[in-house]
Amino acid sequence: MTRLTVIDETGLHSFDDVGFGELGVSADDFARATGWLLRPEGLCKGDVCVPVRDAAAMSNGSAIDVAEFARVTGRNVVIDASRNVVAMGEQASSRAAAMTTLDAPDFTLPDINGKMVSLSDFANRKKLILAWSSW
Amino acid sequence: MKEWATKEPLSYPVLIDTMHIVADLYGIVNVPAALWIDENDKIVRPADSTPASDMWRSFSGVDSAVHHELLRRWVRHNELTMDADAVRSFQVLPTSEVQQARLHRRIAIALRERGDESGALEHMDKAEQLAPHDWTIRRGNMPLRGVDPFGEKFMEFVGEWSAAGSPGFKLGTGRETK
Repeated sequence: MTRLTVIDETGLHSFDDVGFGELGVSADDFARATGWLLRPEGLCKGDVCVPVRDAAAMSNGSAIDVAEFARVTGRNVVIDASRNVVAMGEQASSRAAAMTTLDAPDFTLPDINGKMVSLSDFANRKKLILAWSSW
Repeated sequence: MKEWATKEPLSYPVLIDTMHIVADLYGIVNVPAALWIDENDKIVRPADSTPASDMWRSFSGVDSAVHHELLRRWVRHNELTMDADAVRSFQVLPTSEVQQARLHRRIAIALRERGDESGALEHMDKAEQLAPHDWTIRRGNMPLRGVDPFGEKFMEFVGEWSAAGSPGFKLGTGRETK
């Protein structure tokens, strides 16, 4: 079975392409990887739900179409169908709106030893973020 | 990088961000850059090109001591020189082209990791066409292409970027006026 790579802000996720819609993957696997669950009220992540008008295009019950997911949730998406890879990200308008709240968004990245570190590990402290490259 | 970062015991973590997640979240357009976040998780100084030393001062025209002094005042005395509106005015908000370019770059990184160099090049090209003046994309791609990020191609890019009006550089802490 073809493997499908989905890239989002949390990293790389690999799924079996189950052959539904444009980029069909198991809805359970997708929920585990991204936190997005298909519920009767729509697509939900935590408290946030997005209504799904065309439920049949989104899912057949067990599978979810990642391309349809990106469209419905308004995410920016680049699909390279020939290489079985899709990248999803924030649109410029929603990124700009989030930035101008000045709320510092959390992120989790590996350190040089592979240990995962989050901004939220440093709660209630002043934080200096330095971005640099080793070239 | 690991060799450098482990030479001395560090009191802070060094994180690896191959997909440029933090650049996306915080509007970082170049490295080195710094930004400040306070105890309540509010951004109190936006991402800004701020070298740690004066090693490249003759090229960048930035006096690193200016940022260091501001940082000391904030850490020790809670002094801030910018209110929330000022912070906002110096943020570099993304264009839709840049957001799309970031996705192409992430695909390039993923393809490279699986050994698909030609696929990676294709997506790097697309990213650079979409965001020709973004340093994290144009210059960030140079080592991935085997191009010297301090060489001729880099100087060409700097020329193009300057001619376009130095887009994306706003705050300029410590920049000497010429």
